Amino acid sequence: MIMLDKMAYSSGLRYISPCVKAFTAVTTLLLCVTAHSAVISLITLAVMGGLTVYKGGACPLYYIRLYRIPLLFLVLSTFTIVVSISKEPLSEVALPLFRYYLTFKGDAFYFAGNLILTALGAVSCLYFLSLTTPVTDLLYVLDILHCPGILVELLLLVYRFIFVLYDMAAAITVSQKSRLGNKDFKTSLHAMSGMLVMLLIRALKKSNLLYDAMESRCYNGKILVLRESARASRKEIVMAAAFEAVMLGICLLLRRIS
Amino acid sequence: MTGKQKKFIAVTAGLSLIFGIAPVADAMHIMEGYLPVRYCIAWGVLCIPFLIAGFLAIKKSVSEHRKTIIVLAMCGAYAFVLSALKLPSVTGSSSHPTGTGLGAILYGPSIMSILGIIVLLFQAVLLAHGGLTTLGANTFSMAIAGPFISYGIYKLTLKLKVPKLGAVFLAAMLGDLSTYCVTSFQLALAYPSEIGGIGASMVKFMGIFAITQVPIAIIEGIITALVVMALETYAKPELTEIGFIRGGLNHER
Repeated sequence: MIMLDKMAYSSGLRYISPCVKAFTAVTTLLLCVTAHSAVISLITLAVMGGLTVYKGGACPLYYIRLYRIPLLFLVLSTFTIVVSISKEPLSEVALPLFRYYLTFKGDAFYFAGNLILTALGAVSCLYFLSLTTPVTDLLYVLDILHCPGILVELLLLVYRFIFVLYDMAAAITVSQKSRLGNKDFKTSLHAMSGMLVMLLIRALKKSNLLYDAMESRCYNGKILVLRESARASRKEIVMAAAFEAVMLGICLLLRRIS
Repeated sequence: MTGKQKKFIAVTAGLSLIFGIAPVADAMHIMEGYLPVRYCIAWGVLCIPFLIAGFLAIKKSVSEHRKTIIVLAMCGAYAFVLSALKLPSVTGSSSHPTGTGLGAILYGPSIMSILGIIVLLFQAVLLAHGGLTTLGANTFSMAIAGPFISYGIYKLTLKLKVPKLGAVFLAAMLGDLSTYCVTSFQLALAYPSEIGGIGASMVKFMGIFAITQVPIAIIEGIITALVVMALETYAKPELTEIGFIRGGLNHER
């Protein structure tokens, strides 16, 4: 978890304006999902992957391994969509199951391939965003888009606290493990619930202390900091716009052909 | 080969297939780009009333007491960390709890909707679970349907004089199961089966995902019950702390 965040901070594209990156990622994502075509998805996958790995400097092996996270969902649900249960076999390929058949239609593989490619293309856009843009920069973009102040503040605070609590949870887990707290299923259930209880109590205690500390420093519901995010250069804006225009063009062209 | 042997081989093959893929967990967030655009928009729109209600509730309690925002943020971070942890399991595979049951019981369902969408956003960006286009659908199943059903069951079972431990267990487990049913429904609606339409498709999805989700739901129910019990024993003052977030655990006493 902390790895993705670390990579975002050390990315080669870190100091490109977050607005340009968010615009590119989200527009490409929308185009990829709307077009639902193999060609667009492959282009998206190649461009976003290339940007993240070559320009961003993400480790290629780690980047490929990231695609394993949604794999289980992808395999299970695509299998479910493709296969149907019927009384008669729909095509030559049919597996008898009690009185029914597990079967699929002729174009099912084409459909499945298309769906998988679209999903992978979309995931590559998401990875581009989360591997090149730290969360604080994303919050800056949300601020520009006039997201309500309380929500942005809440997001910022949650983001800060995640790491505090995660470290705490990891430390408790290590100490439990070193005392054989996970030696079998029953002890590990007990260990986990004990850890969650301590985590909640400590989190609430910590928030009390934090509130006192912030109150004494005149906290009035908004943490104001100077932003150090870069302004977008004209070249970047033109390049992003041109790329999206080309993608849109290909989408329209493909739609006309089919 | 006799029929019995054949059945035995089929069952063992099925089991090995399940445990072979189970180690890469996260089965229940609909992944990025998996839903067609019109369903993404529709589920997003459906979430808006709940989110506005939650937002107004938060805004009101923040304006009454500024400390609420810190406590809320801590609760949100807690929900995120909870969902990033690995549940203990019998098979050695790793799977994550949803935390909707615990969240709904502790903080109340309307607050949970806002905390839930925040957690889902961070899950998408920091953990690559779920995604931006499917944020609406995931929010509906995990941050709205799950918590509201959990909370409803919790209240109902307490009214029916079920002991608290059982009430919490049922609320967390059924909340988790309902999340999985709603997600199956969302997928079935987007991808109806050729024969039998949405109904048949939903049966298929529920059948397939039962492999991963039913054990998770039971384990999560047990853990949530243990956590709530321990909290009641050790952390009365801290619970009163969250008490001023409306609709929480202490409110009905």
